[in-house]
Amino acid sequence: MAGDDVSHDPADRDAVEGYLAAVAARLTGPAAVRAAIADELRDGLLEALAAEWARGCSHQQAARAAIEEFGDPRTVAAAFAPELGAVQARRAALGLLVTGPLVGLAWIAAVAVNALPPWRHELTGPWLALPLVGLALVVAGPALGLTVATTGRLGGRLGRRATFPPAAAAVAGLAAVAADLTLLAIVTGQALTSPAPQVWGPLVLAAAASLTRGALAGRAARRCLAARAALR
Amino acid sequence: MRAEVLKGHLDALLLATLAAGPRHGYAIKEALRAGSGGRFDLPTGTVYPALHRLERAGLIRGTWSTVNGRRRRSYELTPSGRRALSDERSSWQEFSAAVTALLGSAPWPATT
Repeated sequence: MAGDDVSHDPADRDAVEGYLAAVAARLTGPAAVRAAIADELRDGLLEALAAEWARGCSHQQAARAAIEEFGDPRTVAAAFAPELGAVQARRAALGLLVTGPLVGLAWIAAVAVNALPPWRHELTGPWLALPLVGLALVVAGPALGLTVATTGRLGGRLGRRATFPPAAAAVAGLAAVAADLTLLAIVTGQALTSPAPQVWGPLVLAAAASLTRGALAGRAARRCLAARAALR
Repeated sequence: MRAEVLKGHLDALLLATLAAGPRHGYAIKEALRAGSGGRFDLPTGTVYPALHRLERAGLIRGTWSTVNGRRRRSYELTPSGRRALSDERSSWQEFSAAVTALLGSAPWPATT
């Protein structure tokens, strides 16, 4: 078993940290997950190092053998890519599932309080673009459902390709961005072309919610696409 | 033995290494190597992603502890993992018996 003397040797530590840095540089995904992977690999490497040392290797030989035993950093990072892609996709999907209803409720409240055209069952002026939001939801809904299903416990049994979850989550994220941008464009058009609404508070709140969610969804989609690219 | 040979069996083999109790990643890899008489000697770094996949599937559970001042993640079978291992063992016994019957005997007589 590894002891403190092994992990405290500067040359060993440098070799281990150098290897971990080479793996980490090739990992995508949430920072906390990548840090946990590095911790786990570090423990394993130090165990391997101690085992080599116990066999009579010098420190330098032991470090080289342990690192060879772990495998090429590119191979190790590539082996982690499907899991990291799944984690990234699931986080993005769950985030969208939580924020989606909140943003939706904020907009419904703003429309209702101001009795805007959709509340009167009319689609006039800038509100003619509202069906685009519905289209985005039609795209995002199944994409989110499939992402959650394929990244959960049943994921392995569903037999999807590893690239599917991050791709589906990216589609859902981009659809959310499209919905938010459409809503923001509609409310801007409303403000510029129609009589000013009487109650600004809910509209500002809904617009702020869409701006925030849109930015987060865009970032999540970008990260999912990066995770998918790492799987190629 | 190359890693490709293990494809399709790695999950069951990893579950089997945990049948006796919790182990950390390197100990699992060593158990795999020692239990196979040195034949299954995978790059250690590629065992960890497989463990993460099994954990996400609910077949094993990982917990963190601190050993020698560093973080260590150990894994143990969940009830689902025990059931999966039992199923895998039954399937393997049936499969290996059939393959042994076909490959382990003398050549078949011609049937022309």
